[in-house]
Amino acid sequence: MQLTVNGQSHTVDVEDDMPLLWVLRDELGITGVKYGCGIAQCGACTVHMDGVAVRSCQVSAGSADGADVVTVEGLGTPDAMHAVQQAWVNHQVAQCGYCQSGQIMQAASLLDNNPDPSDTDIDMVMSGNLCRCGTYPRIRAAIKTAAATLKET
Amino acid sequence: MRIFICLMAIVIATTSWAEEITLSTPAEGSVSTAEGLSAWDRVYEVASHPRCANCHVGPSEQPMWSGPSYGKTRPHGMNIHAGESRIGAETMLCSTCHAYREGTGNDLPHMAPQVAMNWQLAPVEAHWFGQSSEEICNQLRDPDRNGGRTMDEIAEHLNHDLILHWAWSPGGGREPAPYSLQEHVNDILIWGVAGFPCANDQ
Repeated sequence: MQLTVNGQSHTVDVEDDMPLLWVLRDELGITGVKYGCGIAQCGACTVHMDGVAVRSCQVSAGSADGADVVTVEGLGTPDAMHAVQQAWVNHQVAQCGYCQSGQIMQAASLLDNNPDPSDTDIDMVMSGNLCRCGTYPRIRAAIKTAAATLKET
Repeated sequence: MRIFICLMAIVIATTSWAEEITLSTPAEGSVSTAEGLSAWDRVYEVASHPRCANCHVGPSEQPMWSGPSYGKTRPHGMNIHAGESRIGAETMLCSTCHAYREGTGNDLPHMAPQVAMNWQLAPVEAHWFGQSSEEICNQLRDPDRNGGRTMDEIAEHLNHDLILHWAWSPGGGREPAPYSLQEHVNDILIWGVAGFPCANDQ
């Protein structure tokens, strides 16, 4: 299969039913995306596929053939962070951090669709991304900060 | 009520894994009202079953989790709202987790069911969850509330909608819808040829 990840084209030889998550982590060595549950219950593996947030553990390699995938590594860079990533740093959102790449990718997708989300909007989009450390109040605050930043730019 | 041509047998090939259904419409006038009502009772068993009703939630934007494999009845976890779009476009797409998948798969307990089409709620008008047999019967025979479908078009819809096919092979420990897809289509056609009777007609 062929796919583009973070702007770079890749060809991988995998079974069609391999989850995209394993293509990214095991075949391409892109480990920002995390394995949490493998059954779409936690959101830790969230990436963008063709501009839409998906749980990469649920997307088969066959379905991702030809897709344009963005992981947390491609959302921004340490020198030029995406507004969501910068807000995450400013609010020191992460505790253990394991779920955070999925949270960030889902939050970026939320702001793509809704540049001025209310608390209710945030809760409706982010409730599928679990955080065992309970960083939800900081996640909500960081999303509002990122929304304000994106409005200024 | 529309008039239907008799005895039509069509075998329609669907995707490689989907069940192949024969549409055998009984001859016009060959089905009594009582037989039609009996067929409707079986159709209602299917329509009100959790595999179907959980996503036929009417004006609610929240799919339901109900049925033997779910324990108590409750809205879909994760604060899911499918919105006016019925596919979650306003918040989070159903396909975020219910991804497009060819063939059967993802059938372990608690996995997000997946089929080879976009996962979605049924239209608002097709409100089945918690509704009575009479309410659903009257909705399903009303072209203004059934997508403008004739009897044959309802049967065709059942033949082509792979989410509906999933209801009979849901996997993951979920209870399948009763009867079989073929039997359900047969009952729709029997009910239709009988003139779409509902219990409130008398």
